[in-house]
Amino acid sequence: MSPIVYYLTTLVVFFFIFAISTWGLNLQFGTAGILNFTYITFFAIGGYFTGVSMLGRPDALSNMRYILGLNLPFPIALLVGATAAGVLGLLVGLVALRRLRSDYLAIVTVSVGAIVYDFVNVNTGLFNGADGIAGIPYPFNDSLNLDPNTYTFFYIALTGLVTLVLGLLAFRIYNSPLGRTLRAIREDADVASAFGKDSYRFRMIAMVVGCVYAGIAGGLLVGFISALNPGGWVAGETFLLYAALLLGGRGNNWGALLGAFLVPVLFQEATRYLPQIPGHAELIPALRNMIVGGLLIAVLWFRPEGILPERKAKFPGVEYLKKRKAALEVG
Amino acid sequence: MSVLAQSVGFGLITASVLALAAVGLSLQFGVTNYINFAYGEFLTIGAYLAWTLSHGLHLNVYLALVVATLIMGVLALLLNRFLLRPFTKKGVPLLFLLVVTFGLSLFLSNLTLAIWGPDFQSLDLPREVPHAFGPFLFTTSQLTIIGIAAVAMGALHILLTRTEIGKAMRAMSDSVDLAQISGIDTDRITSFTWLLSGCLAGLAGIVLAINITSFQPNFGGEFLFVIFAAVILGGVGSPYGAMLGALVIGLATEMSAVLINSAYKNDVAFALLILTLLLRPQGIIRMAGKAA
Repeated sequence: MSPIVYYLTTLVVFFFIFAISTWGLNLQFGTAGILNFTYITFFAIGGYFTGVSMLGRPDALSNMRYILGLNLPFPIALLVGATAAGVLGLLVGLVALRRLRSDYLAIVTVSVGAIVYDFVNVNTGLFNGADGIAGIPYPFNDSLNLDPNTYTFFYIALTGLVTLVLGLLAFRIYNSPLGRTLRAIREDADVASAFGKDSYRFRMIAMVVGCVYAGIAGGLLVGFISALNPGGWVAGETFLLYAALLLGGRGNNWGALLGAFLVPVLFQEATRYLPQIPGHAELIPALRNMIVGGLLIAVLWFRPEGILPERKAKFPGVEYLKKRKAALEVG
Repeated sequence: MSVLAQSVGFGLITASVLALAAVGLSLQFGVTNYINFAYGEFLTIGAYLAWTLSHGLHLNVYLALVVATLIMGVLALLLNRFLLRPFTKKGVPLLFLLVVTFGLSLFLSNLTLAIWGPDFQSLDLPREVPHAFGPFLFTTSQLTIIGIAAVAMGALHILLTRTEIGKAMRAMSDSVDLAQISGIDTDRITSFTWLLSGCLAGLAGIVLAINITSFQPNFGGEFLFVIFAAVILGGVGSPYGAMLGALVIGLATEMSAVLINSAYKNDVAFALLILTLLLRPQGIIRMAGKAA
């Protein structure tokens, strides 16, 4: 297989993983109006738990230290990762979602991100600290025995299937009574509670499900690249997903999908191979991040609804009332 | 001298740094009613400006400190005037305004990285001599930090209670609408608040850099949640609460370093933040309307 085909197939897997992440963020930020400024932490927790569930007991030879080591097959390990991310989301929600102001949740998420990052680095017994975990077996390949090139195509099919299921679920949630309620709470929590909707409970559902999406995306990444360390989930990654969602169109799952293609895949990959300036290795990545930060602000100024805006709900009853009102005013 | 007494001494120093930072954040939140997530980067830029002035332009370090503080204040003023005020005038929802400051933090932290590079730098004060105060032992730079914070807090108290502009800030903190009806020029007060907030952040960044001896482009951003802990513990929007919160967080983190383990200093600040949100979300000093 030529390098270019290998590169493109890798991009397809990354696109699926980013699509799942952006849908989860869309459920939290786009649909429910929850500001989770450390979305990538839940992605990492999902990845770590998936990884250490698939690895065997740590042995003296590998020099890695980590918890669990259960030798589980990939689907069950992925569930473990998704659950871990969901539980962390639940804990954060328990503290922060009771407050109505979005500032408080955002503050708690920023703090949780910093603390978890510190904690994973300092407590090397958890996920092997700053070196991270590595050597996670390729999912299903102990029975498939495919060569690396063919395996990539198998993994595209695997992530594609998961992406399809989670995508259908994301659309289903958006159009369901749950999605409607979440949007009502986002627009005006007081009105929603006047209609008997418990905004705390509904926002908690969005928080946990969004974090489970992040956890699954993290698990799929670990299954593909076989390793994860703290350098792979720095705060910058969360900005990338926000930029994707805002540019694509928050509150619109097609917009989230488009954004996942435009920002983390197209923009990141197109700029990945820019020549480095000798002696200033950090300059190009820094400029790239400045563009992402600037993009976030620019989209909110010029086109806050994104490329594919959220469709405004239309209710026949409202149209009827408007017509009657107009008729009465004429009469 | 006992280890515990020395940890109280360290606590006072951390509290001094934290008080400058927390009051600056809290004042701005009180007046504008939204949190600035780029505030950590204000600290970083303040420290790097002072470093450039003292190392690049060979200014006296104390003069560099004053000039860098003022420049950071002006930068904050300009950021409000040309970025955040247009957004608020447009009537952007709070949710998006917070994302704007979040995006700004990524932009500024990477701008710092692009300009000053990833290497560790340090601000050197002349002549470090130990001074004994009862059970405490402080170096010259540590005494300087405590002195700067004490003078700044005193000046701030006079500003808020004795001057027209300080009273106007407090009025806006209570209610923007009522302040406007009373004839307060809210745009001018908001601009002044950003200037003051930027100055305090810059100054806090410089003294933090002095205190930790060497710093990198991400050091302010990493300190941000400790500032949040102090602000929320004290009561969001209340400058006096922020001072109190800074004292509690400063002492608690440094004493825990002795009693538990210095690796968990930040976790103690985090635990206090979570406990406050669970038990007394309005903080020690309650501000109406700020902590719904």
